[in-house]
Amino acid sequence: MKAQRVLAITRRLLQQFRRDRRTMALLFVLPVLILGLFYFLLRGAGPHPAVGVVDVDQGPLGSAVAGQLEASTTVDASRMDESSAAARLKDGRLAGYVVLPADFSAAASSTGVLRPEIHVEGSQPSQSATVMAAVSQALAGGASATLAAAGATAPRVEPSIAYLYGGPSLDTLDYLGGAFVGLVVFFLVFVITCVAFLRERSQGTLERLMASPLRRGEIVLGYMLGFTLLALVQAAEVLLFALLVLRVHNAGNVLLIFGIETLLALSAVNLGIFLSMFARTEFQAVQFIPLVVVPQVLLSGIIFPVVSEPGWLQAVSNVLPLTYAANGLRDVMLKGADLTWRSVQVDAAVVFAFAALAMVAAAATLRRRVA
Amino acid sequence: MRDGQKGALAVEVDGVVKNFGRLRALDGVQLRVRRGEVFGLLGPNGSGKTTLIRCLVGLVVPDAGIVTVLGRRLPDLGVLSRVGYMTQAAALYPDLSVQENLRFFAAISGGHHGVDEALALVDLADRRDSVVATLSGGMRTRTSLACALVHRPELLLLDEPTVGVDPQLRAQLWDRFREMTGGGTTIVVSSHVMDEAARCDRLGLIRAGHLLAEGTVTELLARASTDSLEDAFLKLSEGES
Repeated sequence: MKAQRVLAITRRLLQQFRRDRRTMALLFVLPVLILGLFYFLLRGAGPHPAVGVVDVDQGPLGSAVAGQLEASTTVDASRMDESSAAARLKDGRLAGYVVLPADFSAAASSTGVLRPEIHVEGSQPSQSATVMAAVSQALAGGASATLAAAGATAPRVEPSIAYLYGGPSLDTLDYLGGAFVGLVVFFLVFVITCVAFLRERSQGTLERLMASPLRRGEIVLGYMLGFTLLALVQAAEVLLFALLVLRVHNAGNVLLIFGIETLLALSAVNLGIFLSMFARTEFQAVQFIPLVVVPQVLLSGIIFPVVSEPGWLQAVSNVLPLTYAANGLRDVMLKGADLTWRSVQVDAAVVFAFAALAMVAAAATLRRRVA
Repeated sequence: MRDGQKGALAVEVDGVVKNFGRLRALDGVQLRVRRGEVFGLLGPNGSGKTTLIRCLVGLVVPDAGIVTVLGRRLPDLGVLSRVGYMTQAAALYPDLSVQENLRFFAAISGGHHGVDEALALVDLADRRDSVVATLSGGMRTRTSLACALVHRPELLLLDEPTVGVDPQLRAQLWDRFREMTGGGTTIVVSSHVMDEAARCDRLGLIRAGHLLAEGTVTELLARASTDSLEDAFLKLSEGES
């Protein structure tokens, strides 16, 4: 082994990277970007889950517990009446609400048991957990302040818990499952289309296509049909595996899920063709994976709910197609949403519009990549 | 119908200019190719041969000047179904068989079904089911040629078709070209090999984006008063500069 030869390889490698600005940027800018995103997602000052407090207790305990909740640092609690709390839970403005019934104080002092009613939205296990933790903390705090003064022992808590969607058996996979079904399809279809279209150029056949009577739109459409066909088989497989083998919770229509997956696959194909024009080599195409896929995974609400992001980051999330697809898939699978839901209509329309936009962009930029 | 058009022009290039950034690849090129002839574009590497051929299929849009192909002024997508184009490197789909490649290119160029004819012409009928990735370099070149002529084009543009091809196959390919012009096809072929030039009906000498001279081999030799094409090329390019 000769040091000179080893160093020759090392030096050549560094020389190559010096000419490849994009790889340099990827190496040194992307890590900061991704870690920064994690900071804002995990430690960012996003809003806390909103919780309603319905205090109809005729004794002093209800008001003490409500006060404790309002002072909570983990949820954003406010008092309201039961009907508006129920309505807000339904339209997504509340993550949950707690009802402190009329005999709340009386029952506590006579039987030593606290019986609040807790209502949670239920489709997001982590959010439900936050709400329940905040409520039980407030119960304990309120009880010790009120009852200790009266010399009573610490009461037991026996809440009745109602889930708007899902139920106590809903686990993290159920929550992530719907979005993952979309993500897997989007990710693989995007990468394969991007590399395949690039190969068309690098092997010289694109030049031949452009010298034929083919129109640019015909090339893009042909590609789209081919890859969409493959993507649909894949989407069906992923969906069946998730539902039948992994038994991911599904309360909605399977065909509707498949429909949203199809729109997402269309987006991925067209985005792949469009972005392949910005890569000269397959190496550069692979670099689009961390650039395009990772931020989408983090920001589209698949893992971290979009509502818990800081406002400016939500603005970014709101232009990503995966945000809408994940939201739509989740609504269908967890909440049993159907096409009459306004939110599902919006989600589907946005993903479709993105696919159409990417297709027009792909066709418009095709000319440049031959020359 | 083809006979009726004989003598007419297959290609007319008038004052074509093309710049790539600060590099002037074509500098006012003037060119006439008659129907049914083999026209050789002769010039050193980087002289503008490939750019000129790519102008003829609309891959390069000139900054100035007019290109007319088979009577249609470019850009014109429709006329491309009557033109065959063979790129410098064999541009094929390596995962497809010879026949699958041919069928694809036939389909996108208008759906003529000249697959068998094209396979016979390049002597690959017995390898029609071979996957292109498993073929030798010479076979790939022949497949690429077959793809360029599978739709029976009236005008065939060949960009250095015999680079890296052994002398035996080269002779064979030229025989094929001759057969095709016999059937009325016009061929424009670029080359920097002088002995190949002698096989063309007429030649255009191109250097640094200029067409230096145009004519039959005999005419060009007479103009330069020499008996070697190589000397003629050197003399004519000196006269220019």
